Amino acid sequence: MSHSSTQTSTAGKLALVLLCTLLTACASQPTALTDPERDPWEGFNRKVHSFNHAVDKAVMRPVAKGYDKIMPDAPQRGVRNFFHNLAWPVNFANLILQGRFKHSMVATGRFLMNSTVGVLGFFDVASRQGIPDYREDFGQTLAVWGWEDSRYLVLPFFGPHTLRDTLGRSMYGYLHPISWYARKHHNYVPVVVDLITLRAELLPLDQDIESAQDPYTFIRDVYLQHREFEIYNGDPPAPDYDALLEDY
Amino acid sequence: MKATANTAVTLLMRTAALAALMLAASPAVADTAEPGRIVEDTAGRILTEIDTRRSEFKKNPDALKELVRAELIPMLDQEYSARLILGRHGRGLPPEKISAFADALSSVLTDRYSEGLLSFRSRDQLEVLPPTAKDSEKLTRVRTRVQLEGGGAAPVDYAFRMTDAGWKVFDVTVEGISYVLTFRNQLGPKVAAEGIDKVTNDLMAGQIDLSES
Repeated sequence: MSHSSTQTSTAGKLALVLLCTLLTACASQPTALTDPERDPWEGFNRKVHSFNHAVDKAVMRPVAKGYDKIMPDAPQRGVRNFFHNLAWPVNFANLILQGRFKHSMVATGRFLMNSTVGVLGFFDVASRQGIPDYREDFGQTLAVWGWEDSRYLVLPFFGPHTLRDTLGRSMYGYLHPISWYARKHHNYVPVVVDLITLRAELLPLDQDIESAQDPYTFIRDVYLQHREFEIYNGDPPAPDYDALLEDY
Repeated sequence: MKATANTAVTLLMRTAALAALMLAASPAVADTAEPGRIVEDTAGRILTEIDTRRSEFKKNPDALKELVRAELIPMLDQEYSARLILGRHGRGLPPEKISAFADALSSVLTDRYSEGLLSFRSRDQLEVLPPTAKDSEKLTRVRTRVQLEGGGAAPVDYAFRMTDAGWKVFDVTVEGISYVLTFRNQLGPKVAAEGIDKVTNDLMAGQIDLSES
């Protein structure tokens, strides 16, 4: 109980800080928005993006690169499999919340198989058996419940989100064993390892981001499209190409 | 009496017009399965070639780029992609400039594509999924799955449209990320700020960098 109240007050403070920064950012935002509909807070978002980029360049990327250098590909995949397997409670709860009971059973079967035959989840034997991998989070559940379009929001340290997914993320920590363990035992080592290995997995994207004309819009557009892909479980509606030509 | 004859003539003309329309549309109707075959055949040809000439391509990536370009460029509607990417920034530009921009763009795309191809081990890694009801006679998406080494598969979709020259690809989507939508926000503002010639030249220059590395 005390944990949840601390969490809420921290979240509350963060929201307040965000709001203040946001208001000042919007007040001094003279340039045109590149996507007024989905990214009305571009001025604020760009500032947080620059901050995150600096943090990443100074800390996260060098550490992830070091890890990538000493760890061969196979054990790296094993570690990612391990963390991914542990996300089962999150996937399970959200499949239930989305009314996909059969899929929640499949997810449970996958978790049991990988945890046992797959040696604590290091080997993704379930995928090799052709068992589908449903990755569901609270942001996706909120989208399924009707909150489909949500504005883009870049969070300090946590990076690209939407307003909806920010709310979804606040639920995440209660169900993911790694976050739960961290708060219960005040031991953040697993969380840090999770983040480093995740960052290492994303290293190949750096080249695309760096070579982009505008890394900010590149990350945003890729994030929002991929999010829609996840929400629609891999089969999103085709883009409205005619609309792209209309203003031609 | 005369009125009836007139009506009959009008009706006849209408039917003829309708028949003509249907005739014009019929090749498209007959061909909705063709895009899937185009993807399968083209990928098959490229992957077989890679299998037999793998060591050569490893030493000389430019040879692979040439092969991929020769295979892929004819199946693209690159001018349509270019117009989608340029959006309003392409308004009023002379067609030959749009063509040059489109050429540069598809060269960059096919070069990038060929870089990923060498890691392919076999043709079985590519699966073309059956068409779905969402496809129409003018626009269809070919869904494919590329098997990844660590298990799992990456979805790669090709958007086809019916043109005077048959079905052509105008967009590629990898894990939900569309090439057209993503490049639109990258290149559109740059064209507006620096002009299309500069952007076309930059794309060509990037190409030189890619082949040198």
